[in-house]
Amino acid sequence: MFKKALLALPVAMAVGAAAQAGEWQDPNDVLQNLLQNNPDSAYLHQSEMNIMMMPDNPALWLIDEGEELFYAERGPNNVSLEGCDFGKGPGELEGAYVELPRYFEDTGKVMDFEMRLVHCMKELQGFTSDDPAVARRHGNGSDIMQLTTYIAHQSSGMAWNPPLDHPEEQAMRDAGEVLFFRRGGAMDFNCASCHGDSGKQIRASVLPEMRNGQEWTKAVSWPAHRAGHDNVRSQNHRIRGCVWQMRHAGIKADTPVNTALISFWNDAARGEPAVLPDLKR
Amino acid sequence: MLSNKTVGASLAIVASTALIAGCDGWMGERGGEVDITAMTAEEYAEYLVLETDSYSFEQEAQEGGSARDRMVQDGIQAACSLEGEPDADTAGEVIAMARESYEEPPGGPRLGNWRRGAELARSGYGYRIGHRNDDHGTREPGGNCYACHQMDPAEELYGTLGPSLAGYGATRGTDSSVVNYVHQVVSNPHQYFPCTKMPRFGHNNFLTEEQIAHVMAYLLDPESPVNQ
Ligand code: HEC
Ligand code: HEC
Repeated sequence: MFKKALLALPVAMAVGAAAQAGEWQDPNDVLQNLLQNNPDSAYLHQSEMNIMMMPDNPALWLIDEGEELFYAERGPNNVSLEGCDFGKGPGELEGAYVELPRYFEDTGKVMDFEMRLVHCMKELQGFTSDDPAVARRHGNGSDIMQLTTYIAHQSSGMAWNPPLDHPEEQAMRDAGEVLFFRRGGAMDFNCASCHGDSGKQIRASVLPEMRNGQEWTKAVSWPAHRAGHDNVRSQNHRIRGCVWQMRHAGIKADTPVNTALISFWNDAARGEPAVLPDLKR
Repeated sequence: MLSNKTVGASLAIVASTALIAGCDGWMGERGGEVDITAMTAEEYAEYLVLETDSYSFEQEAQEGGSARDRMVQDGIQAACSLEGEPDADTAGEVIAMARESYEEPPGGPRLGNWRRGAELARSGYGYRIGHRNDDHGTREPGGNCYACHQMDPAEELYGTLGPSLAGYGATRGTDSSVVNYVHQVVSNPHQYFPCTKMPRFGHNNFLTEEQIAHVMAYLLDPESPVNQ
């Protein structure tokens, strides 16, 4: 029932774009390019104020704090996170964020970014689920958001390129696509109810269209400073918000439904440059 | 598209495999015996939703039952879990399911108070769970029509997922065929628009019949600002 032909298109374009998109770029430059290439996208152009504020994006303030946390010897085991492998080798952060979720041999499963970070904080540093360092997932003051912003920033401007070579990666992405269209809840919504068309509005918000790669790359570019919340938010926080509006059951942290949705949505932005960190309404 | 039955049956097999293997996490843990690559994407998605402890299912839902009930699909939700428009067969099945389950309110559809309807059309409160659960004891849930529709032409904040309903009653009047039609649409719009994005406010008990009467008055009453 899915339009397989359409799916092939962004992948084909991605191959061409990826060659130039491998370089790190300042998030504001990435955004400016997207705006220039898409003068008619109501979603991308919806907030002049946010576009103007982008060079002074408050999310940038978290980067230094995140860097300090990453290299600090912490937790009961008193080690840094340099031993953490996000898929490119221990401590290798450049380009790692845009190539997640992926299958990890050491855990034998597909993990999304936050799941992997928490895994390392527990396994390497010895934190437990109750320690605030891993229990607090949201807000500028949380270790998780500071680390997320620092690590994601190392992939700014690079093309989304979550690997699909392992059969479980492909299965996770495909299940995520099904979940994107799976209706449920008290209002019968699926994700496509609101993200199926370009330029549609729900109340005052212009909605990004999932099949429009240049809108969707900005849409999935979290961490982002969310002006309305005055806090930096994660991909997982965005899912939480949409699921709440959908009147579906709440999704728990570090669970495979999150991973599947992120596998699919990062794949839907494949080949397009990530804006990390971004600034949103 | 898989029917609910097929998915249910294969799920039972999958779940018992996991049980026999004594796997306490979700499959994919080292040593997990569930071969996810042997499942179709639909089966795996269904498995992820229902069997992997990904959701706070134990939570109570405001309409009664648990949060889990929200995520178990009924026939229309399953049939409409597709990208784009339904094909002719699916559309026919959905319309038939919608008609079959439609219930007229006792005494037939009627118009209530448009002022109450205006509040309900604006309010996006209600039924949200997971975190900051909506408490229907302190605040009445609304229909959130403005999220998708223009209604009162003087109102500036409105969504565009649905068509503009400004002047809806002014052009249609209020005879019984119009009142019956609007009730059918608000209660279960799939009778006319199979696989529409619009929620089934009556069928899902999202709004009470009394609330629906008020919202209908807001749309159709000649005095309502929608029709000025
Ligand atoms: C009822 C409508 C609705 C549904 C259904 C919905 N969303 Fe959203 N979504 C929104 C709104 C509103 C925004 C915020 C857009 C804005 O403020 O510019 C948003 C934002 C997003 C964004 C980030 C874009 C941004 O600029 O903030 C992503 C990614 C996203 N949604 C994904 C999803 C996924 C995945 C699902 C299904 C699990 C989903 N949405 C379901 C309404 C919805
Ligand atoms: C999630 C978006 C959404 C919400 C919320 C919503 N609608 Fe709709 N509505 C639609 C769409 C889309 C259509 C057009 C039908 C189609 O083609 O799918 C529609 C159609 C209608 C129609 C039929 C118009 C005609 O052509 O005769 C009426 C009446 C209506 N809606 C009333 C309401 C009322 C009243 C509410 C609030 C209680 C409401 N809607 C909430 C999306 C929505």
